[in-house]
Amino acid sequence: MTDSRILLLVLALPFFGSLLSALLPRTARTAAGLVAGSVAVLATALLIPFYAPVARGEIVRLEIGWLPTLGLDLVFRVDGLAWLFAMMVLVIGALVVLYTRYYMAREDPVPRFFSYLLAFMGSMLGIVLSGNLVQLAFFWEMTSLFSFLLIGYWYGNRAARDGARMALIVTATGGLCLLVGVLLIGRIVGSYDLDVVLASGGTIRSSPLYLPALILVLLGAFTKSAQFPFHFWLPHAMAAPTPVSAYLHSATMVKAGIFLMIRLWPIFAGTDAWYFIVSFAGLATLLVGAWAAIFQHDLKGLLAYSTISHLGLITLLLGLSSPLAAVAAIFHTVNHATFKASLFMAAGIIDHESGTRDMRRLSGLARFMPFTATLAMVAAAAMAGVPLLNGFISKEMFLAEALDARGGPVIGFALPVLATLGAAFSVLYSLRFIHQTFFGPPPTDLPKVPHEPPGWMRRPIEILVIACLVVGIVPAATIGPVLQSAVRSVLGAQTPTYSLAIWHGFSAPLLLSMIALATGTLAYFRFRDALNRRAGPPVIARFKGGRMFERVLADIVRRARSLEGLFGTRRLQPQLRLLVCLACLAGLLPFLQLGYATGGLPVTPLDPAFAVIWIVGGICAVGAAQQAKYHRLASLVLMAGAGLVACISFVWLSAPDLALTQLLVETVTTVLLLLGLRWLPKRQPEVWPDDRPPARVVFRRSADLGIAIAAGLGAALLAYAMLTRPLPDTISRYFMEQAYPQGGGRNVVNVILVDFRAFDTLGEIAVLAIVALTIFSLLRRFRPASESIEPPVQQRMQDAADLHAGGRRVGDTKKDYLLVPRIIMEWLFPVIFVFAIYLLVRGHDLPGGGFAAGVAMSIAIMLQYMAGGTRVVESRLRIRPLRWIGAGLLLAVVTGVGALAFGYPFLTSWFRYLELPVIGKVPFGTALFFDLGVFLLVVGATALMLVAIAHQSIRTPRARTPARPDVPPVIREEGED
Amino acid sequence: MIALPWTDHLIVAPIILPLAASGLMLLIKERHIRAKRAIAAVTISAMLAIALVLLHGAATAPAGGGAAIRTYLLGNWPAPFGIVLVLDRLSALMLAITSLLGFTSSLYATARWDQAGPRFHALLLLQLMGINGAFLTGDLFNLFVFFEVLLAASYGLLLHGSSTPRIKAALHYIAINVATSLLFLIGMGLIYAATGTLNMAHLAVRIHAIPDGDRMILDAGAAILGLAFLVKAGMWPLSFWLPKAYSAASAPVAALFAILSKVGIYAVLRVSLLVFTPGISSDAYFASFWLLFGGLATIAFATIGVLSSKTLSGIAAYSLMISSGTLLATIGARDGAVVAGALFYLVSSTLGVSAFYLLIELVQRGEIDDDALAPVTEPVFDDEYTGAVEGSDDAEIGVVIPGTIALLGGGFMFCALVLAGMPPLSGFISKFAIINGLLGSSGAIPMSTWILLTLMIVSGLAILVATTRAGIDYIWTPSNQAQAPLRISEAIPVGVLVAVCLGLLVFAAPVMRYMEQTTRSLADRSNYSSTILQAPRVQSAGDPL
Repeated sequence: MTDSRILLLVLALPFFGSLLSALLPRTARTAAGLVAGSVAVLATALLIPFYAPVARGEIVRLEIGWLPTLGLDLVFRVDGLAWLFAMMVLVIGALVVLYTRYYMAREDPVPRFFSYLLAFMGSMLGIVLSGNLVQLAFFWEMTSLFSFLLIGYWYGNRAARDGARMALIVTATGGLCLLVGVLLIGRIVGSYDLDVVLASGGTIRSSPLYLPALILVLLGAFTKSAQFPFHFWLPHAMAAPTPVSAYLHSATMVKAGIFLMIRLWPIFAGTDAWYFIVSFAGLATLLVGAWAAIFQHDLKGLLAYSTISHLGLITLLLGLSSPLAAVAAIFHTVNHATFKASLFMAAGIIDHESGTRDMRRLSGLARFMPFTATLAMVAAAAMAGVPLLNGFISKEMFLAEALDARGGPVIGFALPVLATLGAAFSVLYSLRFIHQTFFGPPPTDLPKVPHEPPGWMRRPIEILVIACLVVGIVPAATIGPVLQSAVRSVLGAQTPTYSLAIWHGFSAPLLLSMIALATGTLAYFRFRDALNRRAGPPVIARFKGGRMFERVLADIVRRARSLEGLFGTRRLQPQLRLLVCLACLAGLLPFLQLGYATGGLPVTPLDPAFAVIWIVGGICAVGAAQQAKYHRLASLVLMAGAGLVACISFVWLSAPDLALTQLLVETVTTVLLLLGLRWLPKRQPEVWPDDRPPARVVFRRSADLGIAIAAGLGAALLAYAMLTRPLPDTISRYFMEQAYPQGGGRNVVNVILVDFRAFDTLGEIAVLAIVALTIFSLLRRFRPASESIEPPVQQRMQDAADLHAGGRRVGDTKKDYLLVPRIIMEWLFPVIFVFAIYLLVRGHDLPGGGFAAGVAMSIAIMLQYMAGGTRVVESRLRIRPLRWIGAGLLLAVVTGVGALAFGYPFLTSWFRYLELPVIGKVPFGTALFFDLGVFLLVVGATALMLVAIAHQSIRTPRARTPARPDVPPVIREEGED
Repeated sequence: MIALPWTDHLIVAPIILPLAASGLMLLIKERHIRAKRAIAAVTISAMLAIALVLLHGAATAPAGGGAAIRTYLLGNWPAPFGIVLVLDRLSALMLAITSLLGFTSSLYATARWDQAGPRFHALLLLQLMGINGAFLTGDLFNLFVFFEVLLAASYGLLLHGSSTPRIKAALHYIAINVATSLLFLIGMGLIYAATGTLNMAHLAVRIHAIPDGDRMILDAGAAILGLAFLVKAGMWPLSFWLPKAYSAASAPVAALFAILSKVGIYAVLRVSLLVFTPGISSDAYFASFWLLFGGLATIAFATIGVLSSKTLSGIAAYSLMISSGTLLATIGARDGAVVAGALFYLVSSTLGVSAFYLLIELVQRGEIDDDALAPVTEPVFDDEYTGAVEGSDDAEIGVVIPGTIALLGGGFMFCALVLAGMPPLSGFISKFAIINGLLGSSGAIPMSTWILLTLMIVSGLAILVATTRAGIDYIWTPSNQAQAPLRISEAIPVGVLVAVCLGLLVFAAPVMRYMEQTTRSLADRSNYSSTILQAPRVQSAGDPL
């Protein structure tokens, strides 16, 4: 049964198993192992039937619509190559699961491990079964992610954390490059579908984007497959538990890059760029890896570098671009997976049973664990390329391809020599692995007494080693057909004829192979003691990729920090300066482009009185700015002066509503600010070394002055250009015309506020409420500066006078202060209250309205506080400002919502004249309720702020802990500290 | 039209519902925090439900014409004169995100933060009201009003829990934003002077009729207005306040603030698409030039910032800035396919950052000085805030869930992946959509596109590097401090946000289709204008009573 939908099941199974395993209790290692094992076995069983169509050269495809508009559908696709790789992932995965069950300690949270492992398996399957390149890149990044979790499984260990992070960053970076490369391919071809892409090799190779796409894809493949110079992450990843190494570094993860290169070989290979980049990287990796492997003392380190070297070998084969080399590459990929997985498992057993992986401490283990020793020896022989084993056959193919390589006499000579050298190194380290560990005298200082592992732990190795042997002896009968279908799926019509056999007669490759075997063996016995004494590989020891990586990363961070300081700031002043400058620029640019011209309106003649008022106002404003730093009181008073001038201007220009509001608001804000001044610490005048500010301060201040003048001038010019133009046909005419007939009010401003644009007003009163709440909240937790806690100087003097004068109590002077005005102020309360109500009621027709009335009312309350003091007022008057605010908001909203009941939109108003007894005809409308809401809210908000400030003075200071760092913030000028 | 169908009132509900609820809360004393929580929960759930209904309506509306644009004439005044609310696909989308973030932040806050200062829930609701209003309004001045609402509320929320760094950052934030509001007003005044209208749809029509001699006034106004939006959106070099303010905010507040910078983006998108009609002048290209390069500079700066961040909140803030930069640059790229991807990205990155802010606190708990949460003694008057709650032990919300580290680690990883744009969550697909759009255009690819593409990839990588480093330090590195237990009310919000990100990936096709429709209708200016300007009033024979 080869229903293509089964593919989805194959892919989903591992993820499902992962989820299941994650939910198991921490100690359920057997259960988790069973889940993982059955997932792997079941998926394998499901995938096996696909061999039949695949062997016939068919491609089984499953398409699931996902994001069709972006050309991103889920496509699962099996052909010979995908089947081969998927089987490798699953079968070796199943063996690793079995091994893990016995490897992991009881204390480890094993279900989590299996959860990661299965998710990783699923991601890897996703890569090989992807029929869409973006989807491939997607799963690619997922393998990076889960390998990160697997490598960092023992995260208590620093090496594991660092190794995991390094692997993630390197491979994920590569993954992002791959993604961009894939997107470029998509742009060239117009599709991300693998079959379409594979059919467009010519288009891709002739595109100007070929080279960038190639480089990006190769960056992805090289980082994943640990090719020089990105190979450094792989040895660091050895901090992972051994089953992880056995899995990631044999059949999966590092083979993903190889898989990708094989997959895209038909479209990318054949150009000089491919040939040189890939061959060079492969050759360098082969040699560097093999050379470094020789000098490792850690069993896993040796295997890690040998993995790098073999990956280099495969890459080199792919780079050579001949079809036969591609066949050899695929074949060696499979062989390497089998022997490397078994070797890692063997290394894990040695570590597990003897307590160390240091070859210098290990010796003569063959007598303690003869079975394991035999298995390891066979596997290592395969790695070394000894005849009768699978490694031998693919290595011979490799040497043959090296001999045939094109590219001139230098390469023609150098490549076989270097290839043989690599093979000899391989023999050397394989021999060292075996001889050092299993032969020689019995070990002396091992943490544990070594013995054979449980039988089931050895089973996976046995299976793999048998595979090595069988493939090595009868290749054509075993791996032959599978390999053939894989090769055909990649090369198609280019598929060469090749023969898989251990004996091809006496040939040059055989000779080279024998030379390598002999040289390697001789070299080992010549140098083995020297090797044990060396701390690291010569020549390349200085190239410590891992350390360089960390250093580069640290360097990037350091540079980023200095750049952040250069291009950013955390201080307020530069930010405001920037904002003003940019605003000037934004206002200026259009005029630079289109020219500045005033409009055609005649200029009104200037009234001298008005000019004088404005000059006064200007002086006040400038003075306020000038005094702001050291004399806040003067500054505030001047600011109020400027506000009054604005108010007079409104009157002058016949805007009574604005004038009234301005006057009231000015009064309230000034009083509130004055009350707040009490709590600001006094500013110390600046003291400069030479009684003179340094040049940079002078410069900064002049620059600020310049900016301020420029901004002011700019605003003036803008206003002038605007005001000299006739106003276009604005929407305001409608308001003028409709205010009375439809809004029922003669005061257009008020009708706009409570009807036409009542929604704006609703928003604005919300703002007022929020601001009041914010101030209230802030002051609830307010802790004054230590120097402000004491009563002010004046008050202390009064108290002192009281104390010394006979017959007076402390506080009497304060009480007598402004006695007559105080009584007048207290009596003013009802007067202002009535006035406020008057303002509120008449608002719709005459200047006034809820806002003005509210502010007026709050002035009344404020006067009470000023006259009587907080305690006196609150003993007589219950003020609950929060309720006022809440009630105001609700009233305004409810008035608006009322319209809904009649099928009208929110805030639709209604008015009519009511005939009241005595008073007569009175305008009545819903707008009045809205305005009443505004009134309530304004009173509440202002009172809340007032009360919040007023209460500061009657708070008892906290117990003397002025040393707390929580003094309220003081806005400091830059450069002051 | 005789009477408005009740479903139409849903358009205004996201604004008046929170307003009314917060008004109600102010009537209740601080002590009754459970009552307030209940009101907040009911209100926000209702808002979320309404937002989803509206979103569903927008998604199922027929593609062409003005079917997906719904209007609401406030006060029953005709369109260019009164204030009109406009619900189109874009605003429906933004409403849904806002309500979702409001829901998660509010729920999260009930675990601890709503007791760190007075009136938290009222402020939060008012914050939501301001944001919703900004997304719904079709009137420029009304937009200003709602900007003020949301800014004022954000001051209050930022100060919530008042500690020294918080107050310091908040005062900077207030100063910058007050200055920015001033620019908003100036810009709007100039635009009104040039066009005589404030209704955005009307503006789009009027703009064609501006005489050349007055054009510079309009341009200056638009530029200054745009500057105000860009400050809000966090474009370099106007964004230095952002990391400081957001890092100082308490976790649920910062998580909600993730949408605040998107208000700026929204305004830029809305106004620039409406007002800068290509073909009238060089303005359109001029504006997109600034957006593109400003966006690129923002990504570059924020990438540097992410790498240099020493704290998780710094990483989150700069990630937010990266997202802003990416959005601005893609809007500047002016390409329909790209804008659709950008909208997807907007959703994904906003949710990701929000979830990340929530997680940061959980991950770092124990290291953060919890001074802000310690009750302040000495009540001074009636409504003094002391942090005391009725029924002092909060057993009902203190349900501790096991496997804290695993959950935190998983959540952290998911958030990091969303932000970095890595599989398997929505970050990947949204970035892919943008890049696919950038590369998919026919013709030569300009240099700026290559730069944008590179910066997008590099910034994602920087986030990955930074979050990996931080994640390993905070989660994997063994420490003596016992991990504080995780409460259900803290885990659920994070879980919901991550789940939505996952959902965006799984249902990428319908989401993408929605974004594409949104983009198309945004580009159809004349349809937008005519639909709004012809919005029918409710007619009646006489008075409604």
